[in-house]
Amino acid sequence: MKTVIEPRDERTQPARIVPGYPQTPWRNPAQPLVKRGPTLSELTGPVAVAKRVRLLGGDIAGHGARQAIGQLIHLRVRVLDEDAAPVGGAVVEMWQANGAGRYIHPNDDDHAPADPNFYGAARLVTGENGMFELRTVKPGAYPVPTGDGWWRPPHVHFSLFGKVWLSRLVTQMYFPGEPLNAQDRILNAVPDAAARERLVARYLPPTGDPHNALVFEHQIVLRGRTATPEQS
Amino acid sequence: MKRSTLIPTGEATIGPFFPPRYVDAGANDLTLLEGRRAKGETIEIHGRVLQEDGTPLENLVVEIWQADALGIFRHPADPRCAQADPDFLGWGRAATDANGSYLFRTIRPGAPEGRAPHINFMVMFSGLMRILKTTMFFGQSADPVLGAVPLSRQELLISKQEKPGLYRFDIRLRGENETPFFDD
Repeated sequence: MKTVIEPRDERTQPARIVPGYPQTPWRNPAQPLVKRGPTLSELTGPVAVAKRVRLLGGDIAGHGARQAIGQLIHLRVRVLDEDAAPVGGAVVEMWQANGAGRYIHPNDDDHAPADPNFYGAARLVTGENGMFELRTVKPGAYPVPTGDGWWRPPHVHFSLFGKVWLSRLVTQMYFPGEPLNAQDRILNAVPDAAARERLVARYLPPTGDPHNALVFEHQIVLRGRTATPEQS
Repeated sequence: MKRSTLIPTGEATIGPFFPPRYVDAGANDLTLLEGRRAKGETIEIHGRVLQEDGTPLENLVVEIWQADALGIFRHPADPRCAQADPDFLGWGRAATDANGSYLFRTIRPGAPEGRAPHINFMVMFSGLMRILKTTMFFGQSADPVLGAVPLSRQELLISKQEKPGLYRFDIRLRGENETPFFDD
């Protein structure tokens, strides 16, 4: 099955150089990016990443005495392509801060406490319906050390392997109704308001779920559509 | 009939907190898959990743994708996929060290149809709002992707052979000798 990759609408993708994000002017190319017609090399990609990396379970909130501190949440994420076809068998890596806004990473300073019961990472494979589910705690907001009042809103990082090399995606998911969303320099680097809105998960009203987790739904669209007969 | 169309999700930076455990031990060695050895000549590719002022970047994530020793991609879109080396996945990941250096051990790729031998690279890092994509070559050659790059910058995509089986490919994100990146 051949995959077609078309140019994206630039307004739906973030600016590369972001005012107030001090690393961006040092690290992004000054020369114009080179246009190329994709060849088989870019229109194929790793199909068995799970053979090379270790999967980590989809319940990272812990249980009983080992349960992480924070609001329990349940994420239901659907991964689709541009034809709205589910992308099954895709490796997904997620990582997030703990309930206090702290990552388990040498780069994070000690502004907030670590939680001994929370590492904050899961590596999963989507089902044939393109879904993956995750039980975790809601990440906290945290200040960015720019010293000018930038706080990251609660968010979850995702890294996904699609069907081909050019479908590879690294993105972030946000939570609805968070006042910090309106000021976040990374979320607002996407010019198009509707595209920003699609980065925000949908909150499902509680239904008496016995697991006492708030449920959020989200959709991630990877680049690519299936070639029509005239394209293949 | 018009097909339903969804708009691809917006990218975002990988940020400074990508979990170290996601750079699995052995993820930068493409010659071994589940304990079995890929066919072909083992080579090593190393280099440094630098930002505009020449500072080396630590913990930057580099991924590669390539064909096997016969130039076949292990992917159903390759018409020769059935003949692909079952012990070669073609994908690897490395993180840069404090010196900004990465290393891959892999198999020298064959020439896919219509292409010169090459290795696709991706770079992900804090401050990069989008994945940067480039392609490494082993020498000046007729190739549609290399040929798309302005002639004066093509040599920046050609790795330097330091000794037999050892290649150097530096990646400069911005500034003097900036690596050409592709607009995909």
